[in-house]
Amino acid sequence: MAKRKLARAKKSAEKSQASEQSNGCRKSDRLTQTIGAFPQHIDDANHEDDDEDGYIDEEAEEVQEGDSDDQSDLEAYDDEESAGDEFDGLLDGAISDSEDEDEASDEMSEYDEGSDAGDAVPNFGEDDESQEQEDLAEVIRNSLSDDDDEDEYLSKYSATSEAESQSSLSSDLDDSRIAYYTTGADGKARPIYHDIDPHYSSDDSDIEDTNTIGNVPLSAYDEYPHIGYDINGKRIMRPAAGTALDSLLDSIEVPEGWTGLIDKESGADLNLTKEELELVKKIQLGENAGDVNPYENTIEWFSSKTEVMPLSAAPEPKRRFVPSKHEAKRIMKIVKAIRDGRIVPNKPKIRPEDELPIYDLWADDLQEQQPHVMHIPAPKMAKPTNDESYNPPEEYLPSEEEVRTWNRTDPADREKNYLPQKFSSLRTVPRYEDFVRERFERSLDLYLAPRVRKNKLSIDPDSLLPKLPSPQDLRPFPIKCSVTYRGHKGRVRAVSVDPSGLWLATGGDDATVRIWEVLTGREIWKASVGDDNEAVQSVEWSPARDSGILAASAGEKIFLCLPPIFDDETEVKGQELLAAGWGYAAQHGPAEQVNKEQPCKWTKPSTNLTSQGVDVVIMCRQTVKQIAWHRRGDYFTSVSPEGANMAVLVHQVSKHNTQSPFRKSKGIVQRAQFHPFKPILYVATQRYVRIYDLSTQSLTKALQPGARWLSSFDIHPRGDNVITGSYDKRVTWHDLDLSTKPYRTLRYHSRAVRDVRFHSRLSLFCSASDDGYINVFHGTVYDDLLRNPLLVPLKVLKGHTVVQSLGVLKVEWHPKEAWLFSAGADGTAKLWTS
Amino acid sequence: MRIKKKHQAGAAKNFITRTQAVKKLQLSLADFRRICIFKGIYPRAPRSAKKANKGSTAPTTFYYTKDIQYLLHEPVIQKFREHKIFARKLSRALGRGDVSDAKRLDENRPRYRLDKVVKERYPTLLDAIRDLDDALSMLFLFAAMPASDKVTARVTEDAEKLCSQWMAYVARERLLRKVFVSIKGVYYEAEIKGQEVVWLVPFKFPQNVPTDVDFRIMSTFLEFYTTLIQFVLYRLYTDAGIVYPPKIDSARAHGVGGISAYVIESKREKESLIDTSNAEKAAITESEMVSRAQTISTVLNKANNPAAEDKAEPVAVDGDDVDEEVTETLDKFTALPSTDKVISDIIPQPEDISPEDAIKSLLSPFTFYIGREVPLDIVELAIIAQGGAVISESVLDGYLHVDTDAVPEAEEVDFDARQREVDALLKKVTHQVCDRPALASKVPGRIYVQPQWIFDSLNRGRLMPVDEYAIGATLPPHLSPWGDGAGYDPEEVEKADEVEESEEEEEEEEEVEDEEDEVEETAEVEVEEEDEGEEDDALQHQRELEAEARGIMYSSTTSKKRKRGNEKPKKSVEQKQAEEEKELRKIMMTNKQKKLYNQMQYGIQKKETRKEALKTKRRKLEKNKQHKKRVL
Repeated sequence: MAKRKLARAKKSAEKSQASEQSNGCRKSDRLTQTIGAFPQHIDDANHEDDDEDGYIDEEAEEVQEGDSDDQSDLEAYDDEESAGDEFDGLLDGAISDSEDEDEASDEMSEYDEGSDAGDAVPNFGEDDESQEQEDLAEVIRNSLSDDDDEDEYLSKYSATSEAESQSSLSSDLDDSRIAYYTTGADGKARPIYHDIDPHYSSDDSDIEDTNTIGNVPLSAYDEYPHIGYDINGKRIMRPAAGTALDSLLDSIEVPEGWTGLIDKESGADLNLTKEELELVKKIQLGENAGDVNPYENTIEWFSSKTEVMPLSAAPEPKRRFVPSKHEAKRIMKIVKAIRDGRIVPNKPKIRPEDELPIYDLWADDLQEQQPHVMHIPAPKMAKPTNDESYNPPEEYLPSEEEVRTWNRTDPADREKNYLPQKFSSLRTVPRYEDFVRERFERSLDLYLAPRVRKNKLSIDPDSLLPKLPSPQDLRPFPIKCSVTYRGHKGRVRAVSVDPSGLWLATGGDDATVRIWEVLTGREIWKASVGDDNEAVQSVEWSPARDSGILAASAGEKIFLCLPPIFDDETEVKGQELLAAGWGYAAQHGPAEQVNKEQPCKWTKPSTNLTSQGVDVVIMCRQTVKQIAWHRRGDYFTSVSPEGANMAVLVHQVSKHNTQSPFRKSKGIVQRAQFHPFKPILYVATQRYVRIYDLSTQSLTKALQPGARWLSSFDIHPRGDNVITGSYDKRVTWHDLDLSTKPYRTLRYHSRAVRDVRFHSRLSLFCSASDDGYINVFHGTVYDDLLRNPLLVPLKVLKGHTVVQSLGVLKVEWHPKEAWLFSAGADGTAKLWTS
Repeated sequence: MRIKKKHQAGAAKNFITRTQAVKKLQLSLADFRRICIFKGIYPRAPRSAKKANKGSTAPTTFYYTKDIQYLLHEPVIQKFREHKIFARKLSRALGRGDVSDAKRLDENRPRYRLDKVVKERYPTLLDAIRDLDDALSMLFLFAAMPASDKVTARVTEDAEKLCSQWMAYVARERLLRKVFVSIKGVYYEAEIKGQEVVWLVPFKFPQNVPTDVDFRIMSTFLEFYTTLIQFVLYRLYTDAGIVYPPKIDSARAHGVGGISAYVIESKREKESLIDTSNAEKAAITESEMVSRAQTISTVLNKANNPAAEDKAEPVAVDGDDVDEEVTETLDKFTALPSTDKVISDIIPQPEDISPEDAIKSLLSPFTFYIGREVPLDIVELAIIAQGGAVISESVLDGYLHVDTDAVPEAEEVDFDARQREVDALLKKVTHQVCDRPALASKVPGRIYVQPQWIFDSLNRGRLMPVDEYAIGATLPPHLSPWGDGAGYDPEEVEKADEVEESEEEEEEEEEVEDEEDEVEETAEVEVEEEDEGEEDDALQHQRELEAEARGIMYSSTTSKKRKRGNEKPKKSVEQKQAEEEKELRKIMMTNKQKKLYNQMQYGIQKKETRKEALKTKRRKLEKNKQHKKRVL
């Protein structure tokens, strides 16, 4: 067999060479290539050749089968080869097209690969045995040809296999299974096998001569002559192992069904019968392994013959021969739709945009109407500015710092979404990266952003300023600092002008009271009154013109002095006034009052003080912060905030008498003052200004300035208006006829307001603050009750320096002129003139 | 009296949250969004969100209840619902593999149209024109978009078509008022029926499409805008007596595209075309090349352009049209009402040409030859809208060097003839628009300008000096016709600087003159003066004496000097006083007024500081420049 095959291989090789010469086609190239690729498998290469034109191979083999002898077989083989040639020719024709060549060769090579892979699989067909034996021969040859040359093999086997092939072929022929031959679909002879007869003897299940050693490996019997035991317990002897010559002979003359394998169980050569081989083959091909006849006779389950007697005797239903109402209905529906034009049969396809006509939408020419009140149109896009230009003026280009900050800020926080850039010409301008995004964001804004109507004020900001008369028309008022009174060490806390307007008294933290000539700023008189360097809190001239009494408070004491600056007449009168009261209380006062604890003690000063011009010292219980004279000059009040119910005291100079008007404490009293001409006392506590009628001894009104902590207040010379200043920077104007609440609250000082003052003759008032400024106002009060007071800010006087966050502490108007005196924490007093 | 329940009236009734609205309309959120975009319904910010949300302060979007109420009967919503059903049916058919059914369903898919919506939103044409800005910008963007899976080629094509129609209209009617080339694109402003329409056109590059942009929203807007612009264009074309949609000259569309491809014909013309179609046809084929080269100028512009007229001859201008042109070119005469009393012996005076008319025919006597490096779409619109004629280099190239492969060999192209035609055409060129650093050969008789010249001339309403815009010249800054947002005017600064400089120069001159006089008269004294240069008083006295000798009044000389010396401080004193007064008056303001005032002042201050910063920067730059010049 192998020999035959080799012969075939040789022949085909020759043929292929010939064909190569004849047409020089690609296929032959490829053949040589494949041969070159597998030099050790020339046979394989031949197989390939066969497999390439697989059907030719089959065809040839069938022819082979039909032939009776080897010769004819060989001839047929030649035929086959010639057929192959023909095919080659055809193929060449097909391949000659240059374009198809590659494709074709690709296909071929693919097919080659497939055949390579399936090389181990024997060719199917009826001539299984020979094929199979060829394969086996191949296996043996492979096992032997470890280092021999292939050429040797070729010569060797070509001789031996020649004779053998004959016998095997003859054995093929007397196959008893084939019943007869018919003509197949391809016109060739097809063997028809006998039906398998399932008789009893076919079952050989009871024949048991197999080895019964079970799982014991056969190697365990290597030393024994037997290899196991049969079912009856008899030894199964090891079959005689042939000599090397035997095995060689075996390899040459392969017995039927020889596999070259050894049966593990029997130790003999494993021979497979033809049926078994077929079975293995079928399993390998994935075919049905059992004995299934693929060409069964048809059984007519549902016969085409009409039975004489029907299975059911029921009469044919009416619906079988009456037209369907439902269908008619449906059809009518469609017909109606067609008639109505809802369905247009064979409607031509039109693009939806094209079929819709464009017409004059605004043909009615409506008059423009006001849009709905609630409609808020979308704001238009902002117009581009110069810096968006492709060629902007250079000043618009950002500096490096600006670029850096722009890059650092979050895109959402940027003021503009682009950086100005300059391009030298139009052709260099690139695309704008964020164009799509910007348009998208605009779309989002249009439908997603909540809209709200915001009224934009398009007014001149100056129109918000109130219209007031010009300060120039309201002169005179203090404008500049003309005299500065220097001498005090430390803050100047108190300042007062004598009724003639010539002398200025000041008191300060250095515990001295000084008197200055107003116009020159010369210090004329000085008295150090405070014991233990207690600050002089308050200095007030008596309003009585001819007395020349000066009241000053330092610590718990009030000093009544007669500075030696006036003429003798005045001095004598003052001395008389002060001296008159000595012992008055003891003589005239009611007994119980004498017995009762006096709120104050009127004493004579020490010689030291007397020499300085102090005539009377009034000893109080608490620090006296403020003194205020009655207009006549006989009474004065003193305020000591910690004094509880004795915070406000009314002193009478002529009688050396002190009264405490309040039985109960009203809180921390800040200031107290007499009405300019009525028997009314104004007392300012932290929050309220209380107005007491002294004649009826009752509270008439309590003003609520709305401030947290009042610092000062003053009464208009006509008595019905009050201004207050507070530590929370407010200045309020109260019209007593209107309300207890302020008529105006003004906030213009940046620090606490220390003092407020009305001018006694002119309609001026001012406020002094810790920010070092004095604000001068014009405040007209009209006789007409319906007209509100007119307040006009006139001037901000700046001159005092702020020391330890204290600015101007006290202000006082000149009795006649529009001059202003101020005492500052910087140790000076100043005169401001117009 | 019944107790009033809370949240039963007022803001609680007037506003409805989005969730409620969606529920009420029984729509999906996507459909709700679509209908909101179509109908122009937008969320509102109620004055008190808490009241509107029935006491809850959770952040919510509110809609006006009546807006939503009106939507209940919206036919488009009904279509949305039908579409939902349709989609279900279609998916079922496809799932079953029922192809013919699916096809039938798809053919009869529910369609809707937005014309009624447009009419509702814009009851009059003017309303629609007023709202065209966004629509046009969006369309121009889509016209420049690359076709992708999100934006189909058809969408971009349609958008481009509409854009071109719009530009053709603006160009023909000469409505363009402003052009501004910014880094984002080109802004145009047209005045249409008295309304300003501003739109932005991106540069002709493929757009960068960010991944996070939702194109469903964009295309919904586009859908509405397309409908809007179609109808607006129809109306505008009709009002202008032009046929809509305009025909596209395929030959020209092949060449450049854009507006040049549109053959705009008046209705009357069209009729006449029908009558004498054969003759006309012949003329058109003959003139194909000319029209291609001249682009739309010949077809679109029929007025005020004798140069164009000549060229337009082959495009078959009717006799009537010529008459029209004549009447248009002549001054308009207002006919006086001929009453019995007034005998019209007053000669009618020609009306003054308004600045708008000046813009319309600013470039009318000129023919522009546009280099191929210049973006034709921008320049062409600007030129034609000002009455100029355009010849494009790229089109001519295309005409002269026809690719022989495309043309069947049977049609022999007579290149010589074409060359001759082109040469004849090029003789009419007055200006060449060029955007190159240098040009190898210049044609004598032509004025060479950079494209910015056209824009600046249009924006200023007068022809700018050409030398500043010459080839290779550093261009003057291109300023926004809408100015600087914060009130800074670079040109004003320039002028102010010039005035200052000139004043200084004058002063110097005067001084020089004075000195010369002095030299003439008293040379000796001069010498002395120089010697005693330190003693000012003596010198002053001396001068006074001299002046006296010459007969000049003492007061005039001194006052002049004093004025000069004291002017500044005096002014500042007054200013100071005024400021002080203002500060004082501020004291009397109420708190509310004060806050408002301060806010306003903040804004003003900010503007002022920006202005000042820009001014100083400019001065600095100019100084640097001068310094450099001196160094050189």
